[in-house]
Amino acid sequence: MTIELDHIIPIPLKDRFLQRNSEVWNTSLTFEQGHYIKIKAPSGTGKTTLVHILYKVRHDYEGAVLLNNTPITCLSEDALSELRQQKISILFQDLRLFPNLTARENIELKRILQTPYYEPEMIESMAEALGVLPVLDQKASLCSYGEQQRIAIIRALIQPFTWLLMDEPFSHLDIANTRKAATLIDTECRKRKAGLLITDLDEDDHFNYTKQYHL
Amino acid sequence: MDGLERLLKKLIRSGAGRNRFALAITGLSVAMLLILAAVQIQSNYHDLLHSKTNQDSIANFLVLNKILTDQNMGATALSDSDINDLKQQPFVESVGLLSPGRFKASIQSYSDRFPFYTDIAFESVPKDFIDVAGKDWIWKENQQLVPVIVPNMFLDFYNFQFSFSQNLPQLTQQVVKMIIFKINLYGPNGIVSFNGQVVGFSDRISSLLVPQEFMEWANNRFGKNKDTKPSRVIISTKDPGNPILVQYLKAKNLSTDADKTRFSRYRQVVDLVVTISGITGVIMLAFALLIFSLFIQLTIVACKEEIILLITLGASPKQLRKFLMKQFFPVNILIILVSIGIIAILQYAVHHQLLSRHIYVNALPSYTVLIAALTVLMVTWWVNRYFIRKYISLSAK
Repeated sequence: MTIELDHIIPIPLKDRFLQRNSEVWNTSLTFEQGHYIKIKAPSGTGKTTLVHILYKVRHDYEGAVLLNNTPITCLSEDALSELRQQKISILFQDLRLFPNLTARENIELKRILQTPYYEPEMIESMAEALGVLPVLDQKASLCSYGEQQRIAIIRALIQPFTWLLMDEPFSHLDIANTRKAATLIDTECRKRKAGLLITDLDEDDHFNYTKQYHL
Repeated sequence: MDGLERLLKKLIRSGAGRNRFALAITGLSVAMLLILAAVQIQSNYHDLLHSKTNQDSIANFLVLNKILTDQNMGATALSDSDINDLKQQPFVESVGLLSPGRFKASIQSYSDRFPFYTDIAFESVPKDFIDVAGKDWIWKENQQLVPVIVPNMFLDFYNFQFSFSQNLPQLTQQVVKMIIFKINLYGPNGIVSFNGQVVGFSDRISSLLVPQEFMEWANNRFGKNKDTKPSRVIISTKDPGNPILVQYLKAKNLSTDADKTRFSRYRQVVDLVVTISGITGVIMLAFALLIFSLFIQLTIVACKEEIILLITLGASPKQLRKFLMKQFFPVNILIILVSIGIIAILQYAVHHQLLSRHIYVNALPSYTVLIAALTVLMVTWWVNRYFIRKYISLSAK
């Protein structure tokens, strides 16, 4: 699935962005499936806004986002759920776990929301790889933010997808844990021949990026 | 229960409180019972009136005539428009004209041992309206024997009053049927005689009946006025206790056997009870559904955050609606099944109670109760679906 940005610009930030050059806002861009895309930008320049626009949780922008040449504004209720279950997986900056469910239940919910891509044992094996196996049966609200971030990463990787959107995925992880998480993400994306779009504050070499943009 | 349902159940708790839920369920149950009871009572009453087991053969035929007053003396004939109007009434199944003999007639005994002579008048009615007309209820021109049907009360009057006062023997129906007597018809050209024989006794019409063919022939030949309107008609009706029939008779100044229409008063009471029970049931159903819909709304609003996040993560509104429907709707089915069960038990009890008084009502609930239950089930299904749809799409926006 290709993602195409056709001169998108968020309405609340319009005046600010029109005054300066951006490699993403108000230009025409195409992301091919399988490409690793890095969007680098300082705080307050709209990284999260961009991810939310691509995931269709924000609608206050001008221009158009096209998935395989279809504007996402044309997606029906059912088509949107299908997209989120099968094509696009996401890691929110604010994680968005259900605080009352355990870590395992949070991941399991995403696993069985559609026909499962992985067997349930995969949750444990991923949790072990990221070092959160001991907290799997704790309530998500009782886990540390770093643990929650890793659980949210596993939740994003447990479902089928052709694109993985990640909004500052390693913000609360130390270098060692970041490396482990990046390895797992890379493996899972290659397994699915999926594209990866990551936003972050700084330069990094976690992945072999196809293209890097400044927002 | 599958895993997704278990997780959804954990996220979307019925946050609106057990009490409100219990209230909604109680309301629905009472409403359901009232509605089904109303339907069952109506059905029982219908059975009492129409089922073969309870049917009284005389009750469904009514002989009507104008009430004789000082004003209409000599003018009691029913006009064509009176009769047509009667035919068009919904409670009338068919109308038969009673044709009176318009000639003088007498009957007398052939036997010296049992002499009698009396002047008499005959009447005839279409065969369909006679309960005891058999194969021999026919007359052809030149046939000497004329079959006659006699009201039961004539024989009773003879056996229990007349025979005592005249010191005559009592007669059974069989004996009377064996007697051949002489019928004399008086015309302008003298007397013509026939043999008469009683072929049946009826409770339905209180006059001496002869076959209609004979009556037409005799009226043509001996009748004094050629074209006389009938004064009496017989109607068949499904329900002589129908209050509309009684009102109609009253409005048209017609009279009939009051005994046969006495049910109309009971019927009005039953109708009132059924109506009150039905209306109360429907109003309660409306309120119960309102409470139920509020319950659904509160549950969804209380879990709005979870629902929004579920949809953000890719849960389809369809999945959530299905889940919520599964949470709320089964209790409706349970209520209806329990209500039908209670009605069935009550009906069985009523059946036994009435059986000891020789009144028969079905031991099982009527199929109309099932239809009513199904209809209400569909209404609750629709209400559930509507409100779940409405509040889920409000949350999804």
